[in-house]
Amino acid sequence: MKLRQQQRRENLTGYLFILPQFLLFLLFIVYPILEGIRLSLYRVDYQNETFVGLDNYITLFQDPVFFKSIVNTVIFVVFIVILTVGFALFVASAVFDKNAKYVSFIRGSYYIPVMVSMVVMSMVWSFLLNPANGLISYFAREMDFSTVNLLGNKTTVMPVIIFVTFATNVGQAIILYIAAMIGVPKDLFEAAEVDGASRKDLIFKILIPLVKPTTIYILIINIIAVLKIFVVIQLLTGGGPNNASVTMMYYLYNNAFKYNQIGIASAVGVIMFIITLMLSVPQLRAMFKDK
Amino acid sequence: MQLTKTRKKREKVDVVANAIVIFFAVLNLFPLYWLFTSSLKNSSDVIKMPPDWWPATITFSNYVEVFQSQPALRWTFNSLFVAGVSTVLVVAVSAMAAYAFSKLRFTGKNVLFIIFISSMMVPKEVMIVPLFRISQDLGLVNNLFGMIWPNVATAFGVFLLKGFFDSAPDALREASRIDGAGEVRTFLQIMLPIVKPGIGALFILNFVQVWNDYLWQLVIGQDKEMKTLMVGIATLMQDLNPNFAYKMAGATVAAIPMLLIFLLFQKYFTRGISIGAVKE
Repeated sequence: MKLRQQQRRENLTGYLFILPQFLLFLLFIVYPILEGIRLSLYRVDYQNETFVGLDNYITLFQDPVFFKSIVNTVIFVVFIVILTVGFALFVASAVFDKNAKYVSFIRGSYYIPVMVSMVVMSMVWSFLLNPANGLISYFAREMDFSTVNLLGNKTTVMPVIIFVTFATNVGQAIILYIAAMIGVPKDLFEAAEVDGASRKDLIFKILIPLVKPTTIYILIINIIAVLKIFVVIQLLTGGGPNNASVTMMYYLYNNAFKYNQIGIASAVGVIMFIITLMLSVPQLRAMFKDK
Repeated sequence: MQLTKTRKKREKVDVVANAIVIFFAVLNLFPLYWLFTSSLKNSSDVIKMPPDWWPATITFSNYVEVFQSQPALRWTFNSLFVAGVSTVLVVAVSAMAAYAFSKLRFTGKNVLFIIFISSMMVPKEVMIVPLFRISQDLGLVNNLFGMIWPNVATAFGVFLLKGFFDSAPDALREASRIDGAGEVRTFLQIMLPIVKPGIGALFILNFVQVWNDYLWQLVIGQDKEMKTLMVGIATLMQDLNPNFAYKMAGATVAAIPMLLIFLLFQKYFTRGISIGAVKE
């Protein structure tokens, strides 16, 4: 009897400690997800909501702009993530065993653009790429490139945005890799070195396999981050020219806050929610296996 | 240290790789150099071609204009308020929950923890429509607290701090309990000081994340006066004023606080960011 009372008290203490987080979680995460799913099945005109079943989803998949936004988002995810992981591995494996001052200089140089934010970096790039008086356009003109307005051209706009996003955000992956590589026990390298392994061997056969958990983590957080790519699109291209750089998040935003298509926008949100949830399963599994 | 043959060979590949790394590191900082120097030029020098690599005449008039023609001071205050209050709330709420998940025993603990953590990977942006409607119902649109609450709901802090509580010894906690201290006192006076490094990391990471948050603040802060620095400064790009130096001055104003924070707290960043990654 007394034991049960004590257990009840322990339970109560535990619940009280998690209560604030739990309430916020219900109100700002669980409820919006459910409400988003519900709204995606309705047509919403200001105060009137009419149930339309899967009509919003059907409309979406018949809209060539939505289709384009999916294709573009996939292209962004694939190229930006591959560039990020590849380049970050290269940088981290080159510097991780050097002296601490040098490591922190490299880390800082690549991380500062992440810190000052995508908004600020997009503004600088928008100036650099401005066709009338941007530095890059000036060089393009001097070197007789066929296109000077790199953001206004359908074929160049995607590569430029891929590059800008990659260059701005790669610092985070570099920091993660350097931390992981510094954590690899030194005797592993020494043993391999005694056996006559070259640095290339050390990196490809020991270092990279050992930081695999970090690679998985970087892959997932970057895929999810690029999936919701928005700022750079809004500030550099506005989805143009002629929807050539429209993304799912930008499409969602326009439908929700410009065209007042609440049902359609909710359906895009639900699709993106399902994608992110599926993508995060391997990471979550790894985290719980960890315990 | 002795230089063996393999060591010498290794240095060669290494030198080339590091030269490339340094080259790109410097190149990667160039846009920021260009941002800063352009902000100091006058409106005609900034678009001069071929360009001045360093401003011929340095002027601060663009900065004056940013603060005079825009409520930039108000925006800065809004950003500080939103990032500061969010972060204090995040630390408080997630420290409590993390402590419970790490040290207390209660029914359903593991299930609840898994549910919390599963939500961590889903960005709030994908739920922006329902989130906005809820905020409307709660009167949080055009309200700084509307920008704050959804950030406090995220589970990242719980995840981060739980790791720190897990490595804090149980013995201390038990000793405090035997001494007759209640759970709340044990938490505040014994356990919280132990996880200070975790709180430091969470504080900075969260502050920066909220400071640089854009989309949510864009939809919530509708009046000019209610915008945050990032959102407000971004509107300069659409401003009719054709002076790029003025726009770059605005961007510099938005960049400086975060640059300072990074230079002051680099150590915490490295640690905080790395904690999210799974250890082998």
